Amino acid sequence: MNMPSEAQVTFFLTGRRAAQELEALDTVRLRPAALAAYLDLTRLRHDFPVVLIEDAGEGAAFAALSALVDGVLESAPGAGEQTRLRAHALRIEREIRTLVANGASDRLPALIDSAAARVAPLPDRAFAESVQRLREGMARDGLVVDCNAALPRRLLGHVWRSVARVKGEAFRAEAERLMHGLDAILRADHAQSRRGRAATELRAAIGTAHAEAFDFERMAQLLAPVSAESTLSPARRARIESVLTVLRGQRFFALPGSAVEPYAFEFEDCASALSAFRARLPEMAALARALAVAALEVEGEYREARHDAVFADFDLTGMDAEALAQFPDLLVCLNEKALHTPENQALGEMLESGLPVKVLVQTDDLLEAPLAGSGHLAMGSRGRQLASMALGLNEVYVVQSASSNLVAMREHVERAMRYVGPALFSVYSGASEHIGGLPVYLVAAAAMDARAFPAFSYDPAAGGDWASRFSLETNTQLERDWPLHRLEYEDSEQQRVVEEIGFTLADFVACDTRYARHYAQVPREKWNGGMVALESCIAETARGLPERLPSLVMVDAENRLQRVIVDDKLVREARRCREMWHSLQELAGARGGQAARAKAQSAPVEPQAAPPAAEASPPAQMPAPAAAEAPTSAPPSDEPYIETPRCSSCNECIQINPRMFAYDANQQARIVDASAGTYRELVEAAENCQVAIIHPGKPKNPKEPDLEELLKRAEPFL
Amino acid sequence: MTTMATECLLQLCEERHEIEDYQGGVPRWCTGCGDNAILAAVQRLCRDEGLHPEKTVFVSGIGCSSRFPHYMRTYGFHGIHGRALPVAEGIRLARPDLKVFVNTGDGDCCSIGAAHWIHAIRYNMNMTVFLHDNQIYGLTKMQASPTSPRGTKSNTTPRGSYLEALQPLSVTLGVQNVSFVAQAVDWIPEMLYDIVKAAYHHRGFSFIRIVQRCPEWLPKVWDPWLHDPSRIQVLTHEDGVPVSESLAKVYRNRLEHDPANLNRAREIAADTDNIPVGILYRNPEVPCYEDLRASTRLRTTDYVKAGLETEFDKFTIWPQA
Repeated sequence: MNMPSEAQVTFFLTGRRAAQELEALDTVRLRPAALAAYLDLTRLRHDFPVVLIEDAGEGAAFAALSALVDGVLESAPGAGEQTRLRAHALRIEREIRTLVANGASDRLPALIDSAAARVAPLPDRAFAESVQRLREGMARDGLVVDCNAALPRRLLGHVWRSVARVKGEAFRAEAERLMHGLDAILRADHAQSRRGRAATELRAAIGTAHAEAFDFERMAQLLAPVSAESTLSPARRARIESVLTVLRGQRFFALPGSAVEPYAFEFEDCASALSAFRARLPEMAALARALAVAALEVEGEYREARHDAVFADFDLTGMDAEALAQFPDLLVCLNEKALHTPENQALGEMLESGLPVKVLVQTDDLLEAPLAGSGHLAMGSRGRQLASMALGLNEVYVVQSASSNLVAMREHVERAMRYVGPALFSVYSGASEHIGGLPVYLVAAAAMDARAFPAFSYDPAAGGDWASRFSLETNTQLERDWPLHRLEYEDSEQQRVVEEIGFTLADFVACDTRYARHYAQVPREKWNGGMVALESCIAETARGLPERLPSLVMVDAENRLQRVIVDDKLVREARRCREMWHSLQELAGARGGQAARAKAQSAPVEPQAAPPAAEASPPAQMPAPAAAEAPTSAPPSDEPYIETPRCSSCNECIQINPRMFAYDANQQARIVDASAGTYRELVEAAENCQVAIIHPGKPKNPKEPDLEELLKRAEPFL
Repeated sequence: MTTMATECLLQLCEERHEIEDYQGGVPRWCTGCGDNAILAAVQRLCRDEGLHPEKTVFVSGIGCSSRFPHYMRTYGFHGIHGRALPVAEGIRLARPDLKVFVNTGDGDCCSIGAAHWIHAIRYNMNMTVFLHDNQIYGLTKMQASPTSPRGTKSNTTPRGSYLEALQPLSVTLGVQNVSFVAQAVDWIPEMLYDIVKAAYHHRGFSFIRIVQRCPEWLPKVWDPWLHDPSRIQVLTHEDGVPVSESLAKVYRNRLEHDPANLNRAREIAADTDNIPVGILYRNPEVPCYEDLRASTRLRTTDYVKAGLETEFDKFTIWPQA
């Protein structure tokens, strides 16, 4: 029997299930077959739990616990010791995973200890050594968190704080340097002023040891006539003092010893973030201005004639993206449910105007039914729509990912947090109330695999074309429509069967209780050859009655294989999902679209058309030969001259007659006025010249005495 | 956290200086002295590189050469005999924002200051060092120096000096961490300027030996080279200094030499027949001591005071209780 039954076809077309032929889908009892192997995550080494590393500096702000353990194991010495350490470390790792999955929330060292106590309650020297090595090898401190509803916010908040801390450190170092420099200017002025040279100040400067040896009153009297009130102009003093006031009173960074409470930068909603940003903008401009003035003052480069005008107009217009990047970015963490109209508007405004804001939009329910309920399913989250729209803004760093995949996306997450400009994080947590009984991590990962929530990143600063800015790299088997999973099972004749099954949107939706009516479980005896995998018939738009029906492989609570057919509405939705995935692939250059062509073109290209271009415009290409050549031809020898470039500036000729010989701008001699002296002076200069570059020429005045002798002496220099 | 805006503003106030802005007192060197050529080349460098006089310091020891800082309108430190280099190193550590130049003579550097010279090469701190080598003590009226040619008759060697002259280039090239060695002669000002410029742009200890004539005490000693351009061996290479067309016509004895080749540089330095002119050796990879010891710690008054107190306490005699 290779044709679907009539009841099955009816279900497919209308969604009406004949109860005697088809069973309802029990979304809790039945699981997609591809997930069957992963139901108990505590036994599997995967990316979770994650350690939010404290004081990471420029390094990774978070890491999978398993990766940290692997790092320790790789550096372990000796083969025997390594095997033992490996066994112990992996048991501790599993125990931590179990503890965290059961709700424990603690820092890494504490968790290692409590896990170790549970694994080996009795003292064991070898085990204790391994624990010690594990603790030392990891050498990280930080909260250990699992994949759950709170994760996106915790993790992104942590990365944001790491970036802000680095920024804060840079600011602190720079502000301290500048304040120290400005303070030094004021102190130096004081030391040179009349007040600074008063007897008491002089006494204090000498210290106690020799205080009796000096008459400080007399010393002050002596110094008074050469001491001014101040060496600083009143304008400069006022400028330095006002800059110091701004630096000391700023509220953007916490400085040690500062009396003012720094601003908060983490917000729950876009509207309050936006209004806070607007309210602080004048203070930001004042601080940026103070930093610029202070840098100039400390360098001694402040020129009132030039800079006063610049800084008088230095207001908000001086605050470009680079200037804003010095300040902490705003962080807004919100749930997509909160994206009602005014919130949406504020978010749009912040992203569009390129404000330094990092926004997390968390989606918990990916399969929310559309508000405009119609026959069409059209599921999809606002977070996902928002991310797609933000791509169109070009300047927004967009990161979309399921929470399960955030570890793989770490570099993008960190880069987005450091990005100069707005960044949008659209994260699906997997913690949907409509999907029961599955670990949150698994739900999130399933949504990604089903292409219901693909991971992508768009880095506006990464290159000139979409192919280099847009990346899909962390998705599974990204060249396929849906990833294939290997399924091994035993058939009714106890034979081993290996099958490759795709994990499609329909598989993912099958976990959600609200959509159970789009599925029908086919009793084993009604299975037929017309039930085929969804992806193999998705492309068909059949006319007339379908001969093949899309079906899924699922597993029940007793681990038995079951087959389920889906209705046409869901297939249409799956088709829509696939189309969206295709367009993402195209953007990433994986599907022969515009981006792929751009990528292909960026490969080394033969330099073409260069010769014709050169031929077309020879005057521009050719060096001008006449101008390039130095005027080397000697002047007529009747005129006296100096080979100026060879002059070694030794002063001989200048001292003979400074009106006749003079130095040029390079301190090299030339004859400025041959008539300003006698022929005798020319000849003497030639004779004295250390490098023999003076040529006296012929005498101008035939009546000069001793001409004959002079001409003879001039001969070697002609 | 210097913003781009600040950098632009700093550039905005870059001022153009003329050569007169770098001229200090009127030189009291003898008329015809080669030092004048060095002064002219250095002042030209200051102007062309737009050095800020208040951010530039010339350090010297004792001797004719060491009068140099007096003739520059920049900061200067006319030190004690042979100690120009340690003073310059101290300035470099304390004030990394200053451009440091050192003027020293063959007596100052190669005799009393020889130990400092060796170690300064090894420390490789970023400064430009001019060895004014006139092969004689001139300021004290003619005594033989370590670089005087054998047979030089002087007040200390009336029967002629007995020892072969020390070769400053060979010595410098023999020390670990050497990073820049060049040679110039005062009578080819164009090349002198180009070499000074290349030395200034090298980050590290840039050592130039400048063959300098002393018309007063050794007036004829360089004549064979001065009057025979073929004995000037111009070193050419794409990484070396350029040779202009007019110079190339006069100085035809040219040798292609890659400044990265240390062994070849040593061979060239050993040749006393010719005077090689150009860059003998350059290695920008050698680390500078001030970078190795760099600290981001802000030197506040309290910090400096605490450090000094700790040092002084080591020498304090405390009364017994």
